[in-house]
Amino acid sequence: MRTTPIRWQSSLLLVLVLWTALPISVLVISSIGSGWFYPHLVPTSWSTAAWSELVSDRRLSRSLLTSLWLASLTGGIASIVGFEIGRRVSRTPVPLRYFALAAAFLPVAAPPLALGIGLQYFVLRAGLGGTLTGVWLAHSAVAIGYTTLYFIGVFAVFDRRVEEEARSLGASPLATLARVTLPLHRRQLAEALLLGFLVSWAQVPLTLLIGQGAVESLATSVMSYVHAGQDHLASVAGLLLALPGLVLMGVVGSSIRRFAVATV
Amino acid sequence: MRPMVEVESLAASFGESAGLSDISFSVGAGELLVLLGPSGAGKTTLLRTIAGFVAATSGHVRIAERDVTCLPPEKRAAVYLHQSPVLFPHLSVAENVAFPLRLRHVVGNRRSERVAELLESMQILELADRLPRTLSGGQRNRVSLARALAASPMVLLLDEPFSGLDPGLRQDVREAIRIVQRTSAPATVVVTHDLDDAALLADRIGVLINGRLCQIGNPREVMTLPSSREIATLVGFTNTLSARADGIGNIETAIGKLRVCGGTVSGSGSLMFRTDGGRLTCDGEFRGRVTAVTTRPGSVTIRLHSAAGELELASESGRLPEPGDEVEFALHRERLVFFPGS
Repeated sequence: MRTTPIRWQSSLLLVLVLWTALPISVLVISSIGSGWFYPHLVPTSWSTAAWSELVSDRRLSRSLLTSLWLASLTGGIASIVGFEIGRRVSRTPVPLRYFALAAAFLPVAAPPLALGIGLQYFVLRAGLGGTLTGVWLAHSAVAIGYTTLYFIGVFAVFDRRVEEEARSLGASPLATLARVTLPLHRRQLAEALLLGFLVSWAQVPLTLLIGQGAVESLATSVMSYVHAGQDHLASVAGLLLALPGLVLMGVVGSSIRRFAVATV
Repeated sequence: MRPMVEVESLAASFGESAGLSDISFSVGAGELLVLLGPSGAGKTTLLRTIAGFVAATSGHVRIAERDVTCLPPEKRAAVYLHQSPVLFPHLSVAENVAFPLRLRHVVGNRRSERVAELLESMQILELADRLPRTLSGGQRNRVSLARALAASPMVLLLDEPFSGLDPGLRQDVREAIRIVQRTSAPATVVVTHDLDDAALLADRIGVLINGRLCQIGNPREVMTLPSSREIATLVGFTNTLSARADGIGNIETAIGKLRVCGGTVSGSGSLMFRTDGGRLTCDGEFRGRVTAVTTRPGSVTIRLHSAAGELELASESGRLPEPGDEVEFALHRERLVFFPGS
């Protein structure tokens, strides 16, 4: 029968949607519901108290601000550094380029815990253990790996003749960067910024290891709430934690659509 | 004519190509030099070395009497245009043309007036607000040339500007290049494979083979008196006969004896001529059998088998022979070139 593959496809799609959307749905329900115990399918009562606590709970709002600051700075620096390294690596001759690729891949491939133990040595020696700066440096080490890999891919397909043309028309290397290369990569820079932001935003092991409990981010707060059995607050913080990822999905999705329209 | 660009004993290497060696020539202001050569001869490398994108290993490049050999591309006053026009995709046509003006801090009305003037000269004023991706190939070429002119270059380097264009667009680009020559008179060096484009545009033609400039001269010189067998083949001398010269103008070939103009060379070698170096005639000195007749727009080529092998002759109007016909032909002695050696 012709309808069978279509039915299978629809069923698989439904399973996929449920699989990915269910955890977020549970977070939403548990952040506004209470008395949600077995065998009830939905909470017995509804309240926005946990959301109000977000404002009143100074610990949660402080960790939210810390995370925002850390992730913004990490995203900003990682996108700029990744852009420049990616641009230079793409111009490096082949044996050296492979080494550079491997170096960029290392912080991505190594488990954050292992990386954190290694980084701890340097951060503690620099007197930055338990400081925001130390945590930011550790987050950046991983985020720069991601953004560098991203930009190596971007510049591998970049038509460098555009830059040559600018130079030939009288633009210095700096003017070429400012007037041609950077404007042409606005979308990629925004995506790399979000990528770096997310890497830092969801980082737990590095924050715990380098922050030594003195630096509390939203992600580490969620862990604390879960351990303490504060399910409502854990749900609210968990939702906030998921938010940038969802925004990124939207941004990437819309830019892919825009790109598709532009190239038709 | 005062030389605007002078290349002296230039050598350069690039990638796995043979590189350039001992290249010397000069191009005056308003003059157009066409560089011809087979693929891999180093034409693009030469252009890129003059532009500053490939480092010279020895020799000098001077632009307006200033040694620019070690200067970066932006300080040379030489604009290099790639094979296919490369426009800045994030800028409109007018912004593309304004790009070099912005770099030179030309502001306000002066800038917009100059942009309008350049677009007008290239007959693309109506495209000012369009983005490059919405333009046709010919329009992109014109924008690219207008933008190059905005930089007021002393030297314009065009790398195969006709490549991949249909005949209409080729004409369009040739016209655009003529406008550039007329309005700004830079010293222009154009790389092309096409003999027609070379003949139509060039003040002089340079032939580059294996990284060496083998001949340079006016189009008539290069097209009619190539200095070597390779150049002859390149400029369309498709017929080659094994021959022996006696040093006083007589040449013996497998199809018979010939007299050539000014032949002082003796010994064995090759006699070469173009398809227009001979013609079919009722009372010709030589005989052959037609093997193919090829009709192209504006010309007919007869391929025939002679005692010296396969030859190609252009046919004049009139009755065309059929494959298999026995025909007689004559050769124009002033269009034959003898190259000694094997």
